[in-house]
Amino acid sequence: MLKNPLLLIALALTGFVALWGIIDTAGLTGFSAMLTSLLFTSRSWFIMLSVSLLLIVSIWLAFSPYGKIKLGQDDDEPEFSTVSWLTMLFAAGMGVGLLFWGTAEPLSHFKVIRNYTDNFRAAEQALFITNFHWGLHAWAIYAVTGLVMAYFSFRKGCPNLVSAPMKAVFGHRRWTKSVGWMSDLLAIYAIAIGIGGSIAMGVFQIQSGVESLFGLSDSGLWLAVAIFAVLCVAYISPLMVDLSKGMATLSNIAMAIAGGLMIFVLLAGPTFFMMSGIIGSIGDYFFRAIPHGFKTYTFFDEEVITWFQSWTLTFMVWWFAWAPFVGVFIARISKGRTIREYLLGVMIVPTFFSIFWFGVFGSIGFFEVLRLDAAILDALNTNINDITFFVLRYMPLSHLTSLATILAAFLFVVTSVVSASFVLSMFAPGGDLNPPTNTKLIWGAILGALGLVMILSNSIDAVKSIIGLAALPFIFIVLLIVMCLLKALKSEVT
Amino acid sequence: MSLANVIDTFLNVWVFAFIGILIWLYFKKDSDG
Repeated sequence: MLKNPLLLIALALTGFVALWGIIDTAGLTGFSAMLTSLLFTSRSWFIMLSVSLLLIVSIWLAFSPYGKIKLGQDDDEPEFSTVSWLTMLFAAGMGVGLLFWGTAEPLSHFKVIRNYTDNFRAAEQALFITNFHWGLHAWAIYAVTGLVMAYFSFRKGCPNLVSAPMKAVFGHRRWTKSVGWMSDLLAIYAIAIGIGGSIAMGVFQIQSGVESLFGLSDSGLWLAVAIFAVLCVAYISPLMVDLSKGMATLSNIAMAIAGGLMIFVLLAGPTFFMMSGIIGSIGDYFFRAIPHGFKTYTFFDEEVITWFQSWTLTFMVWWFAWAPFVGVFIARISKGRTIREYLLGVMIVPTFFSIFWFGVFGSIGFFEVLRLDAAILDALNTNINDITFFVLRYMPLSHLTSLATILAAFLFVVTSVVSASFVLSMFAPGGDLNPPTNTKLIWGAILGALGLVMILSNSIDAVKSIIGLAALPFIFIVLLIVMCLLKALKSEVT
Repeated sequence: MSLANVIDTFLNVWVFAFIGILIWLYFKKDSDG
């Protein structure tokens, strides 16, 4: 592992960023925010166009004759059952974000949109925008990145690296070597920094839940570090067992808790209100999602443009940041499935789940605002981490449901770290599909160290900007490898 | 012209150049694949 220059440079790069974050948090935040804002201000059209094109390409591939091609040899069969496959990819792709944003995101949009229309239309629109951020467009980014990796790895026998498609299609030329090397480096960087930030955010959310549950106020750093320590102990053992055993079990448990929580809130809360919200948002979403993907809010006022940049563009860039990790991971678990089965599974099922999830947790938030006149919008300003727990406090068995939320958040972070360690181990030694345990453990330790650094620096805003910076070049890389896939598919059929 | 303007112009040129390169590579015939 230490003989691998790619890995050493990736380690130096991530270490440098972590160190910079500790020494000069404000400087790092300012630099990242300046560059991210520059790109967002003038390139928003390109980001939205890229995301929409990826969705259109995914839909076209699923229904084209290429859809019959297997991700693997023609006699390969899927390694995981369809249910395990879906829960694993969903847990890796969204996980802790859903628990965090379930109510907080629709309400955040509602607060802005109600300045322009009445409350009821604002709630409807807020739910639509949330579904847009977590729906087909997000999953198309993951799906298509994973598809490229799976196709070239399992069908063409290439190493499971981001650079492999370029070399496979255009040969080992000077530009494919240099662009490919840079792509692999950026992929490792994006994954490591992204997961480090995810650990820190997960820890802060769990901390907020524990404080809410035990009535602690401002517990400080000791609780965060204690949660982090428990988290480290929890993710070491799955790294030592086979992926299929460790990950499938953890993902299934986390998803079962999240699903159970959703059903409980649906049944214990105002079911009629929530079901009406869900059914309305399904129709709204599927009729408006594709045209909305091309919306850039160019002619709106400053408030709307800022809101668009800090939500829609930030989310889309975040999905790109996570694409190398989730894409490679879902590619790894999708061997033996056809392109059609893969694309429809990866895009449609999680999108429906998200619509149900936000339908339940968003609607309960709107119910509390519109019918119970609860102070949830004020809570949104004071402590956004607490919103999920705020909603649960209005329901029966709130201690139990809060505990379940904490447990699910914990498991989602653990599954993310485990699968990220796996993906990084596959990258570093040159695309090994079954990396050795010690390599996975080393990556687990590095990710933990990055997470701890971010917890200690207490600067999630800086982390978000840095992740954005890591993700932006990835938009170009994803488009490049998708072009390689289309070229390879064309030559396979003709 | 401020530094921000220079970076902005550079990024615009890069985006259009990238789109051009992508289209050119897709239709390029002499691939090894």
